[in-house]
Amino acid sequence: MHKDLQIDDIPKSSGILYRGEFIYYIGSLIFGTGIASLFIGTAFIMIFPLHSKSDPGEIILTTMLVALGIALILIGINIMMRHTKYGKYIVIVSSLLSLIAVLIFVLSYYNNYWYYPLISYVIAFYVIGFSMLLGNAFANIMLWTIRGKTEIATSGEDKGRIYTDEEIQRDIEEATRKSMELVASELQFEISNSDIKNIKVGEAFYESRGTVTRVKDDMDESQTLRQTISPGETEKWGSIGLDKASVQLAKTLEEQTTEKKRFVDIKGRIIKGWEKFTSFLRLK
Amino acid sequence: MAKGLDIGTMNIICAEREGDDIIFMRQRNAFMKLDSSDLTKNMLDISKVLYIEENGEISLLGEDAFKFATIFEKDARRPMSHGIISPKEKEAIPIMKLIVENVLGQPKSQNEVLYISTPADPIDADMNVLYHKKTMEALARGLKYKTHTIDEGLAVIFSELSDWNFTGLGISVGAGLTNVTLAYLATPLMSFSIARGGDWIDEQVAKSTGLPKEHVTSAKETGSKLGKEIKIGSTEGALTVYYDALMTYVIQNLNRKLGEITPPNVAFPVAIAGGSALPEGFFEIFDKKLREAKFRIEISKIIHARDPLNSVARGCLIAAKTQEEKKYGKINLPPKKEVHNKKHTKKWRK
Repeated sequence: MHKDLQIDDIPKSSGILYRGEFIYYIGSLIFGTGIASLFIGTAFIMIFPLHSKSDPGEIILTTMLVALGIALILIGINIMMRHTKYGKYIVIVSSLLSLIAVLIFVLSYYNNYWYYPLISYVIAFYVIGFSMLLGNAFANIMLWTIRGKTEIATSGEDKGRIYTDEEIQRDIEEATRKSMELVASELQFEISNSDIKNIKVGEAFYESRGTVTRVKDDMDESQTLRQTISPGETEKWGSIGLDKASVQLAKTLEEQTTEKKRFVDIKGRIIKGWEKFTSFLRLK
Repeated sequence: MAKGLDIGTMNIICAEREGDDIIFMRQRNAFMKLDSSDLTKNMLDISKVLYIEENGEISLLGEDAFKFATIFEKDARRPMSHGIISPKEKEAIPIMKLIVENVLGQPKSQNEVLYISTPADPIDADMNVLYHKKTMEALARGLKYKTHTIDEGLAVIFSELSDWNFTGLGISVGAGLTNVTLAYLATPLMSFSIARGGDWIDEQVAKSTGLPKEHVTSAKETGSKLGKEIKIGSTEGALTVYYDALMTYVIQNLNRKLGEITPPNVAFPVAIAGGSALPEGFFEIFDKKLREAKFRIEISKIIHARDPLNSVARGCLIAAKTQEEKKYGKINLPPKKEVHNKKHTKKWRK
């Protein structure tokens, strides 16, 4: 019984998202905390209910939870991704910018320093951090998508092809055989004379070469073989050789031509018959 | 000068040219141990028996080992099994070196080209022929030959399918393995072997009839006839059954392997050779079975090798001669000379 295997998975080890397990747990934790924080912050907006005259404590808590939640979601996503060369520095800088912006907001609002130009600085910090986190995540996703498509394009013929156990086994055997042949081709086996130096041979050993059969044979196959293997070698036997090679090749392909001719004849008869039938209908 | 060498489980055959002739030197790939004594050695020397002496033991080599084993109802030891050097025979490599040296002789010129037949990896047994191939290459290189290897099936194609421009299917039914190669314009498209051959048939027949394996081999090689009309209790009946089983097994595996490739859309001739394709009636049964089988390729003609036993060695010689001519241009052949021993002359070409 064959178990079929569908080759449609992109190898995980070569994917851009490949990271150690621990970093995924950290990223997921931060992402989850961000979602929870955003959810609670949004809930507070409705529970309090929040407006311009609300208690500063309620405003700080709600805004902090929402702003922190958004930042943490993006940080979590970025942590889980495999980064480009400067990717991790972008994540660190942008995360710090966002978190510092939230911290300054909390402190300044609490201490009643929430005025211009501090507001613009804080918002600028937060927007830059947010944009960098979002941009980095977007760039990584795009890169992953492009690489994924390349991988699929290179194995386009195989996509969706089903390999049987037998085919896989055959491929493995072929690869093993090639590898063994490569190793063996570099080896030079030498037969040691020490194995036979103590051997004494009988008198008949050098007198007889076994059962001898003599056959009358001109062995012209070797010339044909030379011509078959190297068809370009015509200078030594000229046009006669070329003619002979052509005749032999024609003979090899004769059967195929006969079959084709037979097929063409049948096809011709069918067309002729159809034409007769249509002209008969037209007359009617 | 070039030479071709077929190193088989049962026979080691060397092919070389002399004048307008090809000479095949054949030796059994077998040995048998006897206790050494001066009397035994004298008798063996007088009888021109091929033997070696080591550590107070005599080892009969080649055909003589096989004959003595049959007479004494003992098993001749075989340096090779299933087409490769036997892992069970510790003395296999030195013995084979001596048999190869005996059959091949010394090179007649520096860097004389030699092609050795090697089996393809079997598809139904967990074994690899690479070690065997490298060892055989080293054996011949040790005798100062410029050694190359060729698939057994491809050697059959070189020997039998030149009229089809070396396009077709070459099947060599040997003692240890059955080798199959599909080639297009002398280029192999597929090569594999099956871990069943003449030895497998002999074992099965010996089990069924209760006869020693050597007796079955001897009966098979000395005029057995495969067919439907068989005497009850004869070895021929059992041989027919197991030959039929082997052919079906080869055809099934061949069709399975053909499903793995996309051969060109031409009709392929099939050439059948090998020492185990010798019994009378073999070709007729195989021909019928091949024609009845629904192949994934079109078969144009089925050819029985003119000399099935020597076909692989001849294919190796063709490859060696081609290689040598390619390198040095046309070679002038040495004049004919007499070769000792049992001599048979026949015309290869019809």
